[in-house]
Amino acid sequence: MTVTHTQMPSTDHGHAGLAGETRSEWTKFRSVRSTWICLFIILLAGIGLSVLLTFIQAARWSHSSLQERATFDPVAFSQSGHFISQLVVGILGAMIITSEYSTGLIRTTLATVPKRYTVMAAKKIVIAIVILVIGEVTAFASFFAAQIILTAHGGTELPAGASIVTQVKSASIPVVTIMSPGVLQAVVLSGVYLVLLSILALGLGFIIRSTAGAISIYVGILLVLPIILNFFPSGFKNSVEPYMPSNLGIAMVVTTRSTDWAGVLLTPWVAVLVLAIYAAVFLLAGLWFLQRRDA
Amino acid sequence: MISAVGLSKQYGKTKAVDDLSFEVRTGVITGFLGPNGSGKSTTMRMIMGLDRPTAGKAFVNGKKYQELKWPLREVGALLEAKSIHPGRSARSHLVALAQTNSIPKARVEEVLDLVGLSQVASRKAGKFSLGMNQRLGIASALLGDPGVLLFDEPINGLDPEGIRWVRELLQALAKEGRTVFISSHLMSEMALTATDLVVIGRGKLIADTTVENFIDSNTVATVLVRSSDSSRLNEVLAGLGGSITAQDDGSLLVTKIDGTQIGDAALSSGIAIHELSPQQASLEEVFMELTSDSVDFHGTTDAKAAS
Repeated sequence: MTVTHTQMPSTDHGHAGLAGETRSEWTKFRSVRSTWICLFIILLAGIGLSVLLTFIQAARWSHSSLQERATFDPVAFSQSGHFISQLVVGILGAMIITSEYSTGLIRTTLATVPKRYTVMAAKKIVIAIVILVIGEVTAFASFFAAQIILTAHGGTELPAGASIVTQVKSASIPVVTIMSPGVLQAVVLSGVYLVLLSILALGLGFIIRSTAGAISIYVGILLVLPIILNFFPSGFKNSVEPYMPSNLGIAMVVTTRSTDWAGVLLTPWVAVLVLAIYAAVFLLAGLWFLQRRDA
Repeated sequence: MISAVGLSKQYGKTKAVDDLSFEVRTGVITGFLGPNGSGKSTTMRMIMGLDRPTAGKAFVNGKKYQELKWPLREVGALLEAKSIHPGRSARSHLVALAQTNSIPKARVEEVLDLVGLSQVASRKAGKFSLGMNQRLGIASALLGDPGVLLFDEPINGLDPEGIRWVRELLQALAKEGRTVFISSHLMSEMALTATDLVVIGRGKLIADTTVENFIDSNTVATVLVRSSDSSRLNEVLAGLGGSITAQDDGSLLVTKIDGTQIGDAALSSGIAIHELSPQQASLEEVFMELTSDSVDFHGTTDAKAAS
């Protein structure tokens, strides 16, 4: 019995490396249905929630309180889908590795690519590119959908450099175009926020290994930590609050720097940097465990 | 070729693998035998670079696993049947593996065909039976057409036809000059399949020898005799050099002389033989006895070194 007929390429040159492993990770990623369900939820919930919340604001603008008017941001509101998508990207980022541990596939993976950092790098590349694409598509679609709703409700563009006072006094809800100051950046960073979160979750997945554990901790960091923070003395709370991952996300998409946000939000690019540091820390911790633990 | 040098793995206070040294030669099937929990899987994982040895080293083709340039094309492994995402199709699973080591897609179809899964290749692996999973695992091991194969309990979950298929496949692979290392807790299966044996118990090496040698040195041919006059037969047979154990029911268990000698001796002494049956000393029993209290046993002579 002969078991080989296919001409195999020479093994004299090169070695199993990042390019092949990245192709492999992409094959794995797209060949399970849960991937597509998650991506569909990001797109649908992202756009759907943005449209819904923007619609509610637009419909009741004339009854809104001064504070509501002052904090309304036509860009940030168009990205309300983050409430859901930030959770789903975390699930995707964690599952891309935890599913390998739960099924035992990790042993096959590490046997085919024994350089373990290559496995992590390939997974990071795949999840980052996929979430960047789906994140930006969702961000732009949500943005344009929201502005169409605002315009339909008699929204008008405020004059350039208009103050918060102008916005509060305005009879119609403000609308922006993609060319308005800071808008394009905010929409792009909306997608970047999701990318950084997915990488953070990937790192968490490598550390925790179990799907349930990794996702619980991820949700804890994102949603529960800010609640716990509320019980701390206000001095401590105020200094830590801007660094909560969820607040970093808001900082990236907010365009009107209303007084309400003062002190609570970092500037957009500092927020990107801080979240990138978080993601890097989780990823490096994950790598440390990956290199040292038995598979 | 696979070799282990002083390989050890300790989990807390438990020594799962204890100073294991052996060599697996090319061109024959080597059985890796030991009771469940004796450290076979741990040893295999250490050879594959998945688990870090507490001490010692393992080599494949003279290199540490991590140093292999194209691992999948040098070593094929079936470690656990269920190392497959249940939501992924067999084909996608194999394509993903092939891509890591620049293996052409045509090879995926070839191994699917070889293990008889072509018809169900697009189906989710989660819907596979244990036997189909095992076949898919074997397909992934053969994907890179490797010279070294490690199979952890390859016949688990297979039906008799599947078992025969695996046995013939393994024999064909060895005949092609590959190194084939298969673990099992079934002595009888190894007796049928393997040429060489590495036997361990409680993580320690018990024997590193050939199957033939292992059987010869560990089994004693016994004959059960019932006769008209067992006490006189006892004397006659003792005179011939037989070692006799009288049973309560009057029968004799005789070793060191065979049935022909016993029959002839009885005839010439005028004793009627009522029963004369060779007792097949079960290899399974020998193996169980040998491994149950493995600490008291030491390695048998190395027949491979002598041959």
